[in-house]
Amino acid sequence: MFDQIDPRSPTPLYAQIASRVRVAVAAGALRPGDALPSVRHLASRLRVNPATVVQAYRELETEGFVELRQGAGTFVREVRAERRAGERAHQAATLVRRMIAEAGRLGVSVEELHSAIADEMGAKAS
Amino acid sequence: MSNAVEIRELHYRAGKSFAIEDLDLSVPTGSIYGFLGPNGSGKTTTIRLILGLLRPRSGTIRVLGEPMPLRAPAVLGRVGFVPEQPHLDPTLTVCETLRFREAFYPTWDGDWAGRLLQTFDLDPHHPFGKLSKGQKGKVMMLLALAQRPDLLVLDEPTDGLDPVVRRDMLAALIDYVSQHGATVFISSHLVHELERMCDWIGVMDNGRLVSELPMERFKNGIKRLLVSAAPAETESAPFSVLARDRNGAATETWLVRGWEPGMSTWFDARDASLQSVIDLDLEDGFVELLRTFRTPHGKEVR
Repeated sequence: MFDQIDPRSPTPLYAQIASRVRVAVAAGALRPGDALPSVRHLASRLRVNPATVVQAYRELETEGFVELRQGAGTFVREVRAERRAGERAHQAATLVRRMIAEAGRLGVSVEELHSAIADEMGAKAS
Repeated sequence: MSNAVEIRELHYRAGKSFAIEDLDLSVPTGSIYGFLGPNGSGKTTTIRLILGLLRPRSGTIRVLGEPMPLRAPAVLGRVGFVPEQPHLDPTLTVCETLRFREAFYPTWDGDWAGRLLQTFDLDPHHPFGKLSKGQKGKVMMLLALAQRPDLLVLDEPTDGLDPVVRRDMLAALIDYVSQHGATVFISSHLVHELERMCDWIGVMDNGRLVSELPMERFKNGIKRLLVSAAPAETESAPFSVLARDRNGAATETWLVRGWEPGMSTWFDARDASLQSVIDLDLEDGFVELLRTFRTPHGKEVR
């Protein structure tokens, strides 16, 4: 889940880690009550500053995605279905925004993008 | 005490050619401080000054609150050092090396040293001199960590090692830091490694500290801007222009420092148009900073 964080990205590392957790909760890969890795474990696995992981977990706590239980760890909270759908919609919008920006740089038109999406979806369904 | 290392108005001279001039450097307690700079910029000399191995001409050095080199014996007991070149007796086995080292450090954690031997997959009965370069690097890191230091000073600890070894060494370092909240001062050429773990960045060039900032500010503050109808006057800008290059008649590429979102209004007010803001990663930012610092027209930046 955390393997693709990119230190070179302009998005801060803590925001990338928090976003991975949000996506996993939205997609149902993380269920209510599931434990997140400990700060020590995740920081050393990703070779990032422990403070970065703490910052990510705090943000998720503020947003209501996880709860910090003293001495026990960080656990996924019950997140309502609408909120999870909202998070997925947010991720979809982010993806599309990125795609449109890249298409603009490459000189690909909106129509061409539309037909490429339709083609790819068709290819995937068949 | 807020700084684990604090250097003030330090001057040092070695021969006629090399000098460190007017160095002020602060490593906040609990931070992971990345020390960048080209070869010969004075990084290793600064590290030796911090460790009390060299004596400055003037200025002060405080490490863990104590003056150096005056209090070196007491301070070095609390400092783990991984040098660029391993300097251990090649005929001693790994196990003997550990036992020898243990005798100097009352804080030595034998259990953890044993676990690290396993994590690092090191044979304790192998002579140090016959280990591979990567294995030697791991032994150096192990020795520095097992003494449970309050400050780790690492001089190019992973230079020339393969990615798997680097990963293992840095994972062990981070593991230690998250348990003990120790401060880390690390120099490296591997900028992407530092980009992951550091929260402070100091850049040396030619014996001077040209920048010292929290990582996020260092990274976010430096941007490349694509400007059309670029104004000639930049004195009134809320950011500082490090360099500007013409791309033909219509646009210019600016390298700026101190950029914040919303500053594009400055261009609007001058009938210029800001076409894009390009993010730089740590390596680009570092390279651009040195380039502009070295050109006579570039402003000095701190």
